Order: sequence, then C-alpha cells, then structure tokens
Amino acid sequence: MKRVPVQRIVFALLVLLLTTTTPAQRSFTSTYDSTRKVTLEGPVTKVEWVNPRAFFFMNVRDANGSVFNWAVEFGNALDLEKNGWKASSLKIGDVVIIEGVLARGEMKQASATSVTLKATGRKLFAPLPRRTANAATPAPRWPNSHVRLGPAPGSKGYWGMASAKVLVENAAAKVAMNDDGLLANLADIDKVAPFKPWARAVYEFRQRTLLRDDPLGRCIPPGGPRQFQMPYGFQFIEQPELGRILVLLGGGNRNWHIINIDGRPPAQASEAVASYYGTSVGRWEGDTLVVDSVGFNEKFWMTGGGLPHTESLHLVEKFSRTNLNTMRYEVTVDDPRTYTRRWTGGWTIQWVPDEELQEYFCEENADPAFVADRLEERQ
Amino acid sequence: MWRRALFLWVFIATSTASAQEGHPLSGTWTGDWGPPNQAQRTHITLVLNWDGDKVTGVLNPGPESAPLNVFVDYSNWSVRIDAEGKDSAGKVIRIEADGKLEEMGSPRRRLTGTWHSGAVTGNFTVRRQP
Repeated sequence: MKRVPVQRIVFALLVLLLTTTTPAQRSFTSTYDSTRKVTLEGPVTKVEWVNPRAFFFMNVRDANGSVFNWAVEFGNALDLEKNGWKASSLKIGDVVIIEGVLARGEMKQASATSVTLKATGRKLFAPLPRRTANAATPAPRWPNSHVRLGPAPGSKGYWGMASAKVLVENAAAKVAMNDDGLLANLADIDKVAPFKPWARAVYEFRQRTLLRDDPLGRCIPPGGPRQFQMPYGFQFIEQPELGRILVLLGGGNRNWHIINIDGRPPAQASEAVASYYGTSVGRWEGDTLVVDSVGFNEKFWMTGGGLPHTESLHLVEKFSRTNLNTMRYEVTVDDPRTYTRRWTGGWTIQWVPDEELQEYFCEENADPAFVADRLEERQ
Repeated sequence: MWRRALFLWVFIATSTASAQEGHPLSGTWTGDWGPPNQAQRTHITLVLNWDGDKVTGVLNPGPESAPLNVFVDYSNWSVRIDAEGKDSAGKVIRIEADGKLEEMGSPRRRLTGTWHSGAVTGNFTVRRQP
C-alpha cells in the first residue's frame, strides 16, 4: 500500500479545519454597505433555504456582456416560511429583478430589498402584515392571581419582536443608530451609557470596526439583555410547583436557562459559575417579575453595538406584562468595573399569538466561505 | 516542515476560540523578550487583571514572580509596564516595557513593544491566551 506523507496529512487537516470551524457570519452592518444600491436582473441558478440567512444565486450580464454569478441574500428561512413562502417559491431558471444593497468589498453579493419575477411582475418574499393580539385583552392570570408570562390555558404564543434592538440608557437623549447598534454619529457615544474610560475606548473601537467582532456572528450565545432582543423570540415556561421559570430562547442557539422563584436569596457573584445567562433569582412585586442575576462570563456582548461588561456584571430585570399583547422589559446594569454608575434601559416586547417557537439554528451557514464556495466561476 | 504546519494547525485551532470581551488586557499573556536572535530570547508570562480602578499583574507567576505596575493610555492603547525582577545572579533589577495593544478584537490579541531589563534592551511580544 502506498504511504501518504505526513506533510500531506497535516496539510489536509489544516484545510479541513479552515473550511469547517472558521467563524462565522457577520452582522448586516459589517457585511453590507447600505449606501451602495444595486439593481440586478438575470436567471436564478441555485437556492439555499437556510438559517440564519437564505440566499439565491443568479447570473447577471454586465454592461460588457460578460456574465457573472451573484449571491443574493433575501431573508431568513423562518420569517419567509411564516409569511407563506417556500423554497419552491423561486425556481432555478426563473428570471428575477432584484433591488438591494451591495456587500462591502469586491464579492458579488447583495442583500435584496425586493425580488420581482420578471415574467409576471409578482413580488416574491414580501412580508405579510404582522398579526398581533388585541391590546385591550387583559393579561392571563394564574388561579392565585399572578400574571401569566406565557399563554392562557388552551392557547399558544410566545414573546417576539422587541421595540429596541439595542440597549441604551433611558435618561439619554434619543441616540440615532441602526438595528445592529451602529451609531449614526460617533459623537453620541457618551449618550449610550456611563462608560469608564477603558469601556468607552472598547465601545468606540467596536463602532469604528463596524461591529465586525460581534461574538453573535460566531454563534456565541446572546447573554444578558440581548437574549430578549433576538429575532425569533423567547418563551417563559412557568413551573410554580418547582419554584422556577424556564426561559426558552428562539434565537441564538436555542439556549434555555432557569429563573429560580423558590424564595432563595439572590446569588452572590463570587459563588456563581460564570456563564452566558448568569445565575438568576426572581420574585414577584405585584404584577412585575423582578429577576436578580449575577455570574456572567465575559464572552458575549450584552446588546448590539458592542457594550462591554466584566464578570462583575449584576443585572436587575423587571418583566411587567401590561396586557395580553405587551411586556415591558426594564434592566438596571450594575457593573462598577465597566460603568461609572448604575444605569437603566428597557423596551417593550410584543406577544405573537397562536404560534410556537420554530426551529432555528445559528450555525447553518455560519461558515464565511458559504457564499464564496457557491459562487460560480465567471462564465 | 510538517512540524511547522502542525504548529500552524494548533494556532488556528486555538485562534478560533471565543474571545474574552471584557477589559482587553485581562488574562494570561505569553511570549518572549530579547534581541531578534531567537536563541537569546527569554520566555515571559504576564497575568493581568482589571480590578475596576487599575490593571494589576504578575510577571512569571511562581517562585520567581514579580508584581507588575501597569499604566494604560486608552486613547491609543499604549501600555507601560514596570516591575522589579531578579537577574540570574539573584540581583534585583528594574524591568520596564513600553508596548501597544494590537488586534484588540481577536481572542489572541497581541501586546508588543520594547523591553528593558536592567542594562539590557530588547523587544517583546506577548499574545493573550484565549
């Protein structure tokens, strides 16, 4: 039998590692330049119906008559399916016209804001109007009169869209930023939170580098307040007989964690094992669930935009369900190693009625070579 | 050749680990200092910690450790380190290093600059262990 040189084995392992474990997808902001608009027309060559970013590929003839294959991102498979679309909604060979924005750099890649079938003029992959519960309907309650954080008996639903994608201090004047947390004006940094000098410098670095190092892009769990801002929502499973509430996350990596409501005292940071979601103890104050959490690791950004924290992070979160449809979320951030004082922010979260959390995994096209591997050579 | 490739493989494997996203200097840093000639360089380990007011640290933890004073200019992430160590004869010597933090977003960010140990001057590079 012919022996394979060790060098070749090592080289093959290198290639394997590079193509299988290198992180990851990046945020919209660091991937696309929203100022570079583009219109493309041509036949579809491939459809990749995957999470978190679905793509199709199309051949486009340029002004010189040369044909190039383009990758077009057109949404998330979960959202598309909720809106009634399927992978078969677009067929290989269909000629489409897309409008969108170009990727940063030289890659022939765009994110579509509209997709139109040329033959019929039909718009594809457009979202449906979002269904909401009746705001006037009161929040469901347990027999002991506590507000239910989940659906009423016999119904379904989960918590979906947050009114803010980024945590900023309540007291701050309105700060202009995009959904990824990229500030419209870097001069607004000091309005976001009361940073210590090192934290301000780190936040500014992350802003200047367009959030390219966001751990979420490497499918790191969205710890802290960010878990309640993720697409695809979350669900509370209340188990009063066990003295706990389970939080199931629909986004990120489908993580879950426990809020203990059995009367134990709040955890001490020095005793907690550092984790993404911390050690949480909750109590009811009227209709508000107050959750005290410590024991966070330093491997995640606690919200979009790159707010830093240390293992000293202590969160006090208040969940107030004001009616069937609405949850008010408020969080007080106490991290004396990162911020000069305690500060508070929050947002509202909308109930998604009659639906359940759907399957979502971050990793399906987390490989940065996902697009490049699929783009055809110039024809 | 294959050893170098294996090293590269190990390096890549460790560089894809999750980063520490807190204070960028906190953690264990390893590398070396000395003249450009690799044979004459000295391995060093720095263990740094952000306590909320200042960065503290230890050079070469163990029986021959030395506490570090660390000063950081956050406007450009330049870092000054000084300590009192001992030379091979056990004589106390002053150690001073001036460096700059590079690749701040990387799990294996780097601190590099000049290193003075007693009368000897060289350069140093340490990388943060993920």
